[in-house]
Amino acid sequence: MASAEPARVGDVQLSRFETLPWRRIILVFLAVTITVVVALGAYQTLTLDAGEGGLSTSAWRDFTVLGIAQGSILAMIALGYSLVYGILRMINFAHGEVFMAGAFGSFFFANAYAQSGFLNDNVVVAMLIVTVVAIAISAGTAMLLERVAYRPLRNAPRLVPLITAVGASLFLQNTFRGFFGPQPRGFPKPTVLEGRLDLLGVPVAKTQVLVFVVAVVAMIALELFVSRTKTGRAMRAVAEDREIASLMGIDVDRVIVITFAIGGVLAGIAGVLFSLTFEQVQFTMGFRPGIAAFTAAVLGGIGSIGGAALGGFVIGLLQAIGPALFLTGFGIPSPFSLRDAFVFIVLVLVLVFRPGGLLGSGEAEKV
Amino acid sequence: MSDAGHLLEVRNVRKQFGGVAALNGLDLHVDVGEIVSVIGPNGAGKSTMFNVITGLSEPDGGDVLFKGESIVGLLPHQIVRIGIARTFQNVKLFPNMTILENAMVGQHTRSRTGLVGAIVRPPSVRREEEKIRERARLALRFFGTRLAGFREEQSAFVLSYANRRRLEMARAIATEPTLLCLDEPTAGMNPRETLEMRDNIVRMREELGLTVIVIEHDMRVVKGVSDRVVALDYGRKIAEGSYDEVANDERVIEAYLGTKAVG
Amino acid sequence: MALGGAVRAGSIAGIVTIYLALVGLVERFDELNLIGTEVTFARLALIAAPLVVGLALARTRVVGGESSTPSVREATISGAIAGATAGVVVAIAVVFADAFGIERIGSVFQNADAGLLAFLTFDQPAAVAAVIHVVIAAAAGAAAGAYRRSPAAIRKPVGAAVATTLALGFLQRIVPISLDQLNVERDWLYSKRTGGLTWIGAIVVAAVAAALSVAKARGGGRLRDRLRAPSVLGDDDRSELFGRAIPWRALAFGVGFLLVLTVPYIVGSVVSEVLGTVMVFALLGLGLNIVVGYAGLLDLGYVFFFAVGAYATALLTGATLNTFTGSAEPVIGASLNFYLAIPIVVAIAAGAGLMIGAPVLRLRGDYLALVTLGLGEVVTVLIASPWLVPLVGGPNGMRNVPDAAIAGFGFRDPQHFFYLALAFLLLAVFISRRLISSRIGRAWTAMREDEQIADAMGVATTRYKLLAFAMGGAIGSLGGALFAVKIGSLTPASFQVIVSIQVLGLVILGGIGSLPGVIVGSLVLVGLPGLLREFEEYRFLAYGAALVAVMILRPQGLVPNVRRSRELQDEEQMQDAWARQKSEEEFEEPPVEPTGGELRA
Repeated sequence: MASAEPARVGDVQLSRFETLPWRRIILVFLAVTITVVVALGAYQTLTLDAGEGGLSTSAWRDFTVLGIAQGSILAMIALGYSLVYGILRMINFAHGEVFMAGAFGSFFFANAYAQSGFLNDNVVVAMLIVTVVAIAISAGTAMLLERVAYRPLRNAPRLVPLITAVGASLFLQNTFRGFFGPQPRGFPKPTVLEGRLDLLGVPVAKTQVLVFVVAVVAMIALELFVSRTKTGRAMRAVAEDREIASLMGIDVDRVIVITFAIGGVLAGIAGVLFSLTFEQVQFTMGFRPGIAAFTAAVLGGIGSIGGAALGGFVIGLLQAIGPALFLTGFGIPSPFSLRDAFVFIVLVLVLVFRPGGLLGSGEAEKV
Repeated sequence: MSDAGHLLEVRNVRKQFGGVAALNGLDLHVDVGEIVSVIGPNGAGKSTMFNVITGLSEPDGGDVLFKGESIVGLLPHQIVRIGIARTFQNVKLFPNMTILENAMVGQHTRSRTGLVGAIVRPPSVRREEEKIRERARLALRFFGTRLAGFREEQSAFVLSYANRRRLEMARAIATEPTLLCLDEPTAGMNPRETLEMRDNIVRMREELGLTVIVIEHDMRVVKGVSDRVVALDYGRKIAEGSYDEVANDERVIEAYLGTKAVG
Repeated sequence: MALGGAVRAGSIAGIVTIYLALVGLVERFDELNLIGTEVTFARLALIAAPLVVGLALARTRVVGGESSTPSVREATISGAIAGATAGVVVAIAVVFADAFGIERIGSVFQNADAGLLAFLTFDQPAAVAAVIHVVIAAAAGAAAGAYRRSPAAIRKPVGAAVATTLALGFLQRIVPISLDQLNVERDWLYSKRTGGLTWIGAIVVAAVAAALSVAKARGGGRLRDRLRAPSVLGDDDRSELFGRAIPWRALAFGVGFLLVLTVPYIVGSVVSEVLGTVMVFALLGLGLNIVVGYAGLLDLGYVFFFAVGAYATALLTGATLNTFTGSAEPVIGASLNFYLAIPIVVAIAAGAGLMIGAPVLRLRGDYLALVTLGLGEVVTVLIASPWLVPLVGGPNGMRNVPDAAIAGFGFRDPQHFFYLALAFLLLAVFISRRLISSRIGRAWTAMREDEQIADAMGVATTRYKLLAFAMGGAIGSLGGALFAVKIGSLTPASFQVIVSIQVLGLVILGGIGSLPGVIVGSLVLVGLPGLLREFEEYRFLAYGAALVAVMILRPQGLVPNVRRSRELQDEEQMQDAWARQKSEEEFEEPPVEPTGGELRA
């Protein structure tokens, strides 16, 4: 207190150390290190001979195709994160479980149809029913989640719904475990989808073609829905400003439920596509694709449909090609076991360097 | 401190938000021991100016000198350390901390207890903690008994609006600043409280030896406290001088009342 | 009395009962006898939902500032209606399952088998069973409603009797063993045939519990007030532990501490084993509490520090790698004494915390949560990857972590381990208390309340976030070190992402920012599942449900930290509290809006 003691202002000096832009220095250092490691790894991998673990052109081509297929699925899950985030500014951590629920639900129908022969006799109808079931279960789960776990907490501090989301995720996983057992189940694949197609000289598995086509159609449909319909307009309004939207006569609760439902629909479709691709369902299947999809959503710019799609493909490709390309060169055994670590590192880097995402402004939201 | 220079000097500062220029080549200076009022219509850039001075936002161009040295690029907490404290237009307290604790946070940069000290708690640390408490109390007592006594242990969120403003100022005083930036200290106060606040601002200089910049809308307060008045509009200075000079300046009147359509 | 509300609540209860049956919590536990062979877990599960609904409907409601408390009669009726509705829902399901064929449902739901149907039909025709369901559920709902609104003189003894008896029934694997160790005759209490309490035992226990409850209400209050010891773990302390000269407190504290020291030998080896795990998790909880509770940073990757602590301890004290042929030396390693290794382990963990914290700590809350979750996963993936086999053994892990013996007194024995863990816990509690009541703690609190404003008041927020992260990491690594000593071998399975969630769960359940809360939280979330091994499979189901329920119903946790609990309230409630406060005191100013700014951030 100046009145109590002689003021000692005027002699405070900040040291040189304190005034350095530390954050920028760390970031530049990180960026340089990563670039060097990635470039070196890729160079070493590509110069390896086949005998030393080098990969053939066709292997790289297969990786790329796989990456695009995985990316389509991730993009669809990512849209669920993105839509909800856009409207509620919260990460629906349990969205991976919404995806799992759809996949699991569809499994029982697919399995029953496979045993009765209906799946192969009437493949289009059977797969449509299976997909509709998956959509219904995923959307139902998402809506229930919103009603039970998120709606009561809408005005709570931000971290609270995030914690319930973690809890809901755990609860859903273990509910499915309790209902259907912990063991993985083989998902039947219609014989029509066995084998490969020849696309411009590139052999591509039929499922992968299907996955890509369905995903693109679904995303175009979503884009049209959001930009053309009245409900879509209401969604955008709520995303912009919830309070103003409700003053304008928009039923905010309804819009939020619809948003969750749409996310669920996409997750359900993704669940069926995922099951067809990997031919297996299990109660834990939602976690890692969930995180990867969230990463995709952030990478593309969370809240944007195009961004989620772009992010999905980038992450899918990175997952498929990245480990082999960057790690084989360093002589790291079985690089694919590090695939998920790869995704997380990308997540960290994106958030650190471009929190707004690839399509975003590059400016962090208010920290 | 350089003898010739001003305590604070804002030189040609520019700041854009999107396409809108909040500050457009602002020049301003404050000398030691002055009370300078900043007036101007809403959106004139007054709060942005405070944000730039206190490191909450970085200017796009220009320079801010404090005691002759540039402080652009320093972080807000570093600015507090070199002796600039502020209050906010919409009072910002730590609502769940007690009143005394709020003021004690102000003492943060004037104390140095680190990790080991906090855990081991040797006598030196206890003494420092006592000193922090005492100085925080002293800052609270600047407002008489309003924030003192039993109130010290109450959470800040129970305070009335006017007391919140007072606590915010006490917290700023507790940082032991040279320069205090007050952002609309009487907004939302009733006439009696406003007059009391006017006297308090004068007392800050008389009793605490502070230099004060105050953004204020209430002309009675401006008149009562100011050595000098600076009027802003569209992010630049449009008038400067004694209260009477500025209050009668044509551009200032125009800024407040709007431009008459010219033929 | 809203009939619609009771019916709606009852329908939900019915669905919950069906859920419990399908998820396997009913029929599979028909053999778990609690009292005699009549009260089994399965039967309890059948009426649990109607009971809860009955209790809930009898609560005092606040509508538009007016509170209304249902009378005993209203509570009984609404409970009965809700219970009957629940019974009808279940009955419909049973009749449907009977008609449709339980095998067909069983082909999807693994728990839907003939046994479940037999249990749910009470071996009667479906129509009769349906009636029984309605009657039982209605009775349960009515009883619960009546109980909650009955006068305290009845309610408290009844509640104490029921709760104690059921608790002893559940602890049938534990209490008898402890009694045996203490050489207490126990056949009258626990039946060797049914496993659960005997009826005689149950009646005695209930009577004793009720009697104690009455006695407490009569005159125990005064004594308790005098003995009310300062909470060892209380965190909002301004007075030093022994600072105030009230000998009662010091005395009670001393006696309490001595009692704690005898715990392992009172409860026996099996419970001590569980307690050891509880204490490891409590230590992790104390560490995470610094990060989440004090600094307000949601860290979902806390397993990172647990793993670093455990593996670093193993490597530094000379553990070996598990291989198919036996064991091998890791590529990096030392054979230090455990107590020499600990400071190095802590330094490594804190250093790692600083390194990963530096780039990510500026991120906003929910992004930070995901990034930390990711970093936790990276560690999990890395320690299990073939790449790091020469260092940490990959999927096979490490073994032969030496014991941390002091002068020949080993700690691997669960009863001994208790003391080592206790020492670590007390250290962590001490550090936490000292930190939060210091200048550093004040900076953390300010930062948690409003980061930007804390910065503008001179708190170097990034530095204090890093400090919290590193400090939390250091304590977490102690948990890891303790764990390594406890079990002597490490595999990646112990370091899954679920550990992070468990630790977060116990911090939240106990009460964010509250040290006693961490202890209570770990006792409930780690201790109970450890004692009730039958429910192992359902532990994470319960975790998930608990996290959601706590956040919705009681965000401040079981043992709340006063300040933190207010921060977690709805903005609206805060305004109410503020308005109430205002009306109670005389203020010269007209009421104006509180800021509540922190809650919006």
